[in-house]
Amino acid sequence: MKKNLLIMFLLLIAAAALPFIVSEYGINLAAEICIMAIFAMSLGLIMGYAGMVSLGHAAFFGIGSYTVTILGSHLSNFYLLILGSIVLSGLVALITGAIFIRTSKFYFLMITLAFGQLLFALTWQLKDLTGGADGMKISSTMNLGFGDIVSPLGIYFVMAGAAILVYIFLRFFVHSPAGKIIKGVMENESRMKALGYDPRIYKLLAYSVSGALAGFSGSLYGYFNLFISPDLTNWMFSGQVMIMVIIGGVGTLIGPAIGAGLFIFLQNFISTYTERWPLIMGLLLVILVIVGKGGIIHWFDLLRSKIFYRRSQKRMEYAQNHAQKEEVTN
Amino acid sequence: MSLLKVGNISKSFKTLQVLQNVSVEVQPGERHVIIGPNGAGKTTLFNCITNVLSIDSGTVYLEGQEISHLPSRKLVHLGMSRTFQKNNLFGNLTVEENLHLALTSTKSYRYQIFNALLKHEDLKKDTDEVLEQWGISSRRNVKVNFLSYGEQRLLEVLLAMAAKPKLLLLDEPTSGMSPAETIQTAEMIKKLPRSVSILIIEHDMEVVFSIADKITVLHHGEVILSGTPEEVRNNEQVRQIYFGGGAKAHA
Amino acid sequence: MSIFSIQLLTGLAYGMLYFMIAAGLMIILGVMNIVNLAHGTLFLISSYIAFTFISQNVGFWAALLLAMAGTAILGIIIERLLIKRVYGKELEQVLLTFGLTYIIADTAKWIWGTEMHTIAVPALLDSSITMGSMVFPIYRLFVVLVGCGLALLLWYFESRTRIGAIIRAGVDDRDMVSALGINVGLVFTGVFAFGAALAGLSGVLGGPLIGIYTGMDSEILVTSLIVVVIGGLGSWKGSFIGAILIGLIETFGKVWFPSLSMLIVFLLMVVVLIIRPQGLFGREVA
Repeated sequence: MKKNLLIMFLLLIAAAALPFIVSEYGINLAAEICIMAIFAMSLGLIMGYAGMVSLGHAAFFGIGSYTVTILGSHLSNFYLLILGSIVLSGLVALITGAIFIRTSKFYFLMITLAFGQLLFALTWQLKDLTGGADGMKISSTMNLGFGDIVSPLGIYFVMAGAAILVYIFLRFFVHSPAGKIIKGVMENESRMKALGYDPRIYKLLAYSVSGALAGFSGSLYGYFNLFISPDLTNWMFSGQVMIMVIIGGVGTLIGPAIGAGLFIFLQNFISTYTERWPLIMGLLLVILVIVGKGGIIHWFDLLRSKIFYRRSQKRMEYAQNHAQKEEVTN
Repeated sequence: MSLLKVGNISKSFKTLQVLQNVSVEVQPGERHVIIGPNGAGKTTLFNCITNVLSIDSGTVYLEGQEISHLPSRKLVHLGMSRTFQKNNLFGNLTVEENLHLALTSTKSYRYQIFNALLKHEDLKKDTDEVLEQWGISSRRNVKVNFLSYGEQRLLEVLLAMAAKPKLLLLDEPTSGMSPAETIQTAEMIKKLPRSVSILIIEHDMEVVFSIADKITVLHHGEVILSGTPEEVRNNEQVRQIYFGGGAKAHA
Repeated sequence: MSIFSIQLLTGLAYGMLYFMIAAGLMIILGVMNIVNLAHGTLFLISSYIAFTFISQNVGFWAALLLAMAGTAILGIIIERLLIKRVYGKELEQVLLTFGLTYIIADTAKWIWGTEMHTIAVPALLDSSITMGSMVFPIYRLFVVLVGCGLALLLWYFESRTRIGAIIRAGVDDRDMVSALGINVGLVFTGVFAFGAALAGLSGVLGGPLIGIYTGMDSEILVTSLIVVVIGGLGSWKGSFIGAILIGLIETFGKVWFPSLSMLIVFLLMVVVLIIRPQGLFGREVA
């Protein structure tokens, strides 16, 4: 626990110091990473703690960003708009989740994918509301109550703050009674039923919280990018956030956030050199699957255990040699 | 009033009749053993009582309340818990975490999304109590997958006991155990307080006769006999079908 | 009335097309337990292959065979080289097939660009039947016939042949099949190649109906996923009926509610899920 606090503290310092080290381009990138980190953490919650693999999570991201954009032309209160998109995406998750969680894993994957594509199709087809393929510009600016925040630095700090808040919230959530029970349902659903729990309630809770957080990240993205388009709801985007979760490490909270950072960084870095980022990403994925094991977070663990293993082995060798010597002297 | 009253339940899978007009009664405090050859429908009976399988006809009453169609998760809250013939645990979690999950199911804070689970002192106390009572405190932080088979079987029962049930349904607690472990388990069952009634499926005749107040013999989905151990031991029909051709029961 | 029957034929033709592609997806899912997210991309690549051959003056039918063979070979390579390594690992499978969609689709974009292409209806079928005031394009009738033929073939294959029995057994009990001395790996490669070839078949036959364009692969994938969900896992009958339903709903939906056709299809899926979570004809999951 103390080590975790230390890591948190170091991350905080790094987050605060970052803008003074990198260029404006870097600050923008860091802000985008923070937003995607929230999105990835939201998916990481249901994938790693509830065992639900969704390929339609961009739907909630899209609901969040379209909500602030569409409502933003009528009202300008930042908090109200953010709250509105969280509530709306959470509600949609609650209603659709109630149907989706009746199915088993492959079905869940397929159905969430279909649901994401439904929203994608709707954002295209409902031109009057969403602007169709042309997308929409967000008209309101970010204002937390002390003036408009328009500088990249200010935006970055808001996004970093939001990411930290979400992380803390999720830490509380997964350690809460409901959070532990959700994990129990993932581990063994039939036994949880026999113990007197209703697994559906807990799965639905996890799914709704996850959807609401994804909506939150989407609404922040609207403020960040100032322009939104149907692509935000496409299943390829859902797939990308799933990649972030998996390369970061399923079953941890911070892993997906780290995965998001690596993914966005690589995407931006490689895209400056070539148009073939999708192809390269596909190749990297395939290579990752064939050689990689369990995501970055677990690679660290693996590395650590290897080092410790060597050390303990050396100690054992030393002890054995020592014992032999003693035997000889005796 | 009997604690559990199973009245004339029947169950078939397509054309196969697995249970036919089965009636069983369990009195408060009773140790009631169900015996019968493989395929007699014993586990199916448990699954029908706990409504994991829905019954075709008949009724199940717990303390006078009809529970025939209540979902299995609700039965725990009415005072009935069960174990499984095959270990059904949380293998990737530790012994302590398994107990936490089992003990929380009856707590009012089971829907809370704040306040870490481990901040609840009563849960810690209950967990420590169970661990100490059964002498497994030293194993509390061991992942269940790394426990010995016998320890896992014990935990299987402890999880069911966590909700402080009035009626405990044990599905072959000694299956797959070594003779030594079997004796230990029988001792453990005997140690359970009489405030808990037990309906138990068991194969090992020594265990059966050492713990049973009452025995019900199931054969081809029908109840052959329900009576005291003495009556069962001396029943000619039971010997014929269960012990095979008049051989004496080895008990 | 005449417009109605022509729409009916169009809906059926689309339905059959969906059946062909969903059948490939389902056989891979049912036998190998893999959701092949690259299935729509195989459909796309097959259209492009056929388009290229046809523009080099290879006839439609030869191009059809070449494209099917091409996707089947691609399927074999993918299965032998990659998918073989991730059996039973759900997340890895999703990641792998998702990566493949990027690789194949982006390569296709590289080679063929982003403009829309079409495959012309073969000369043999480029006419129509006139009945009173109704004009039925023969090509659509042909697609319906091919779809029905495939359904019959699959039914025969599954219920009347040794390979069908092996595959059915493999679905239920994999260890049993390998204990019988049957090379499960070979069966799986064959199944994957067959599923890919079906994607190839529908890709070429769909060319004259829906054209070839970037992003088509996602649409096709989603439609076929919905077909499988509606019809139920491991059920030809279900996929067949589900595909026809979707083809009809989409066609008529486009006429009546042009902006909401996808929503109607999705709502159909939701209704089926609420009434029968395992799909119309799916096996009951115990």
